[in-house]
Amino acid sequence: MQVSASFEATARAVDAPLPDDVPDPSAVGPAAPPELVVRGLRKTYEAETAPVRALRGVDLTVGHGEFVALMGPSGSGKSTLLHLLAGLDRADEGSVTLAGVRTEELSGSRLARLRRRHVGLVFQFFHLIDHMSALENVALAALVAGARPAEATERARDLLDTLGLLEKQGERPAALSGGQRQRVAIARALANRPTLLLADEPTGALDSDGAAEVLDLFTRLHHDGQTILMVTHSADVAGGAQRIVRMRDGMLLGGGTDAFGEQP
Amino acid sequence: MGDAFGAIRAVARAEVRVGWRATLLMGVVFGLVAGIVLGGVGLAGRTASAYPRLVEAVHLDDARTLVAADQPQLAAAVPSLPGVAQARTDEAWIAQLDGPALRFVSIGAPTTAHENLLDPVVVEGRAPARDAADEILLSESIAQSSGLGVGSIVTLRMLTLDQVSKFDVGFGPPAGPSTTVRVVGIGRMPAWGGALAPVQAGPAFAAKFLPDIIGYSIYVRLAADPDAAQRFGAAFARTAAVVDQISPSLISQYTQRTVELPSATVDPSVRAAEQVLVGGLVVFVVVLALGGLQVLGQSMVRHHGVRGGTQRVESALGMRASERAAARVLAAAGAAAVAGIVAGGVALAAGWLEPLGSQARFEPEPGFRPVWSLVLLGGIGTALVFSLVVAATAAIAGRRRATVVPSVRAAAINPLRRWPAALLGTRLAMHGRLGRGGVPAVATVIAASLAMAGVVAAISFGASLQRLVDTPARYGHAADLTIVDAREADIARLVADPRVAALDVGAAGTAELADGDQIEVTSRDVRKGRMPIAVAGGRMPTGPGEVAIGPRLASRLGLDVGDTLEVRRIQGGTVTLQIVGKAVITSQNHGGIGDGAVVAPDVMRQVAPGQPLYDATVLAVPGAADALFAELSRNLEVFQRDVPTAVANLADLVTLPELLALVLAVVAGSGLAHALLTSGRRHAREVAVLSVLGATPGQVRATLAVMAATTVLPALVVGVPLGLGAARVLWWQLATATGVAGDLAVPGRLLFVIVPAVLVAALLLSLAPAARAARTPPAVALATG
Repeated sequence: MQVSASFEATARAVDAPLPDDVPDPSAVGPAAPPELVVRGLRKTYEAETAPVRALRGVDLTVGHGEFVALMGPSGSGKSTLLHLLAGLDRADEGSVTLAGVRTEELSGSRLARLRRRHVGLVFQFFHLIDHMSALENVALAALVAGARPAEATERARDLLDTLGLLEKQGERPAALSGGQRQRVAIARALANRPTLLLADEPTGALDSDGAAEVLDLFTRLHHDGQTILMVTHSADVAGGAQRIVRMRDGMLLGGGTDAFGEQP
Repeated sequence: MGDAFGAIRAVARAEVRVGWRATLLMGVVFGLVAGIVLGGVGLAGRTASAYPRLVEAVHLDDARTLVAADQPQLAAAVPSLPGVAQARTDEAWIAQLDGPALRFVSIGAPTTAHENLLDPVVVEGRAPARDAADEILLSESIAQSSGLGVGSIVTLRMLTLDQVSKFDVGFGPPAGPSTTVRVVGIGRMPAWGGALAPVQAGPAFAAKFLPDIIGYSIYVRLAADPDAAQRFGAAFARTAAVVDQISPSLISQYTQRTVELPSATVDPSVRAAEQVLVGGLVVFVVVLALGGLQVLGQSMVRHHGVRGGTQRVESALGMRASERAAARVLAAAGAAAVAGIVAGGVALAAGWLEPLGSQARFEPEPGFRPVWSLVLLGGIGTALVFSLVVAATAAIAGRRRATVVPSVRAAAINPLRRWPAALLGTRLAMHGRLGRGGVPAVATVIAASLAMAGVVAAISFGASLQRLVDTPARYGHAADLTIVDAREADIARLVADPRVAALDVGAAGTAELADGDQIEVTSRDVRKGRMPIAVAGGRMPTGPGEVAIGPRLASRLGLDVGDTLEVRRIQGGTVTLQIVGKAVITSQNHGGIGDGAVVAPDVMRQVAPGQPLYDATVLAVPGAADALFAELSRNLEVFQRDVPTAVANLADLVTLPELLALVLAVVAGSGLAHALLTSGRRHAREVAVLSVLGATPGQVRATLAVMAATTVLPALVVGVPLGLGAARVLWWQLATATGVAGDLAVPGRLLFVIVPAVLVAALLLSLAPAARAARTPPAVALATG
């Protein structure tokens, strides 16, 4: 499998210097504070008929290097939680502390800067930009973070090479298979060497082979020390995680603060 | 079927909920454009029909003639001549009209009642009362040129028949009766002049001054048979000849034995003006209609393209393409109705517009005159066209699928695209359609470029037209005054006069080219200053062997500066003249522009046989022309500068290109504004992805600004030179046809302003989608994008 290429290459790619002063995860020792701390998170959406209480007070802690699977049925609030953690939406109540920074107090610009330094996002439907090649999609993330074009290109190539997509670097997303698109999306998420990788149903739009590729990739990233929080409704996919947190009706079942709670 | 209607209604309701504002806005804009088009059509119709409607309204006579007062038997014979169905005889006088300008006018008044034969349309005031001998009606042209209006009191000093017979040799002060009359009305009529007096009085006037008439104006309605005019003309000539033998008239030299045919003979300048004006309007209407359709079409494709995915869902649920299109037509029914109402309203308001330019003087029903059929049918037609465009664009948007695009060369990111805003903004602008159901970027760029070219072309063409109309030298009328057959003593006096800035003595004659073609040649003997003669290229001739030819002559002969012209000498043989320039000069014979050639006086004597006509052309210092004319005209035959018919016709059109530019700018601007304002919605997902990657609100704004700039920059880069090129070609053709200089007046300052103004406007417009993007959380945009 192409994805089985050594992750040393990935490490080389992500070891490339970043323009922003991103903390180096490898420098974080076992006693480091948790990567993500969520307290009393609530979110209600206004709907035409009645308000939808998507989150009803969520507490969750994710430690450095953890691979957590967030499971729950449709409508349980998994994706909403993930979006709030990434700062893609604002909570009504509660706090999110990411890399030691409380995000609810940040302006839009500062939240964006925090996101680019610490968060990589992978979506079910990839959300690649159709008008750009695979290489440009990956490099765009680095450019957003302030990398020079040559540096961004090199980093994107390295990541695509690592993920077995170097030959496809010039292809537009529409010409790639689902698995290939998701690998490009993962490469893009890793472009700025995030401390936290958030994945929202990353295998949801893939066939079994593609899903296995992505899961294998996540496992390897985790082994290399990447902190991952993955939303899924599939028990098989969640089985690859270090810890499973279950969610229903906007609440975590049994709490989410126990770093070693439910084992898969 | 019932299920299909239910589905159509449901989809239509959903479409109305999410897109009614945009659809309504497009309906209003399209309605305005369609209204202007309908108004233009109505105006073209009113302009083209003004003259024939006036002919009908005034019951214009078929034939007319003037008979001297000392030949009453001839006047009495006319009603019974062959071909005459009806005749009206007015008494005629010539009087000196006291007023701001001294002038002689002819007066006509009927002694008997007449029915449906030559009744002027009274545009102001009323007709003279039958029993009032002190009331007159003036033609519009006399009222304008004399500065008289309704209520003016004027004194008429009539000439006797004997004085009229000495018109060309001088006759002293008027010896006929004097009377003071009041202007009670201003009349409109085609074919004033000749036998039709521009001052009309009533029967009481005719009765009072019957002994002092100088002639009879006889107006004839001819019989219906096709050769009635010929029969009447021949009979009148025969009768006149007999009467002339029995009792010759004192003023026979002024009463030609010919018959005027005003209904059948239309002044060529009227026809030319009508063609130019209507042609200009048609171009205006066609360009605007095409522009409006193009903008509506693209806007609608964008509008439907944003929700192309919805149609795919509807298709998956079993709705046919026709049903999906019908749902969208139903959703846009309100906007279509608004478009129709706005279009009809504008067309109704256009009923206030008088015929364009010189044709306004022929409008028999001044004021509000809407074309109801155009208002009603045009309004309905606009709503239908709007609905058709909605249906067609919905079908197009529903058919589109994401396109698999070819690979691109995997190169390093262009250093110029260091900024992600530049990389993503240009990509979104240039590849906006992919997978999104929008308008192809190239189509947007082409449309914007064509619109910009249209605006620039219209502005440049209008500027050239305005410059021509404002600069008499450009149509060969540089001089303020022309003194016919000027004598050296007068010329010397004028040269010494400080009010004279420039004075040339010109000679005109006819020369024959080697191939037998005859051309008018002139020579200019410069006596003072420099007459600003327009040179379309090269220079004026300065010595023997040189010639400057008019632009139209150059075009006709296929010659240009640097070529030679072979002209026959009077003494035999030919002389070869080097063409050193193209000079815009007016013919002294027929007033045509750019048909002749200018040579040095020595050459003139070699090539033009016979005694040439000499005239002195005078350019006065600013503000002195009128006083100089008043002074010189006491003793000399002097003409003030006039505007040639061809230029006057163009002057009537001078606002049309500017109006076209304005309307095109509004229409194209609306389309571009729609494209830019909807760009945020069309690219909401991409913008949200940018935010996901950590782009700050400033970077999002910059991306949308780059996208806006990338959309309009090609339009500026391509459209401005394209427009200038089109204007140059169009102006050159018009200039060559008219005989004036073909160099384009490039409104540099305006263009200098347009380019940054369009860019700034695009950047400002991009702020709206940027603000919307900032308000919408990326999570929401990703979920709905």
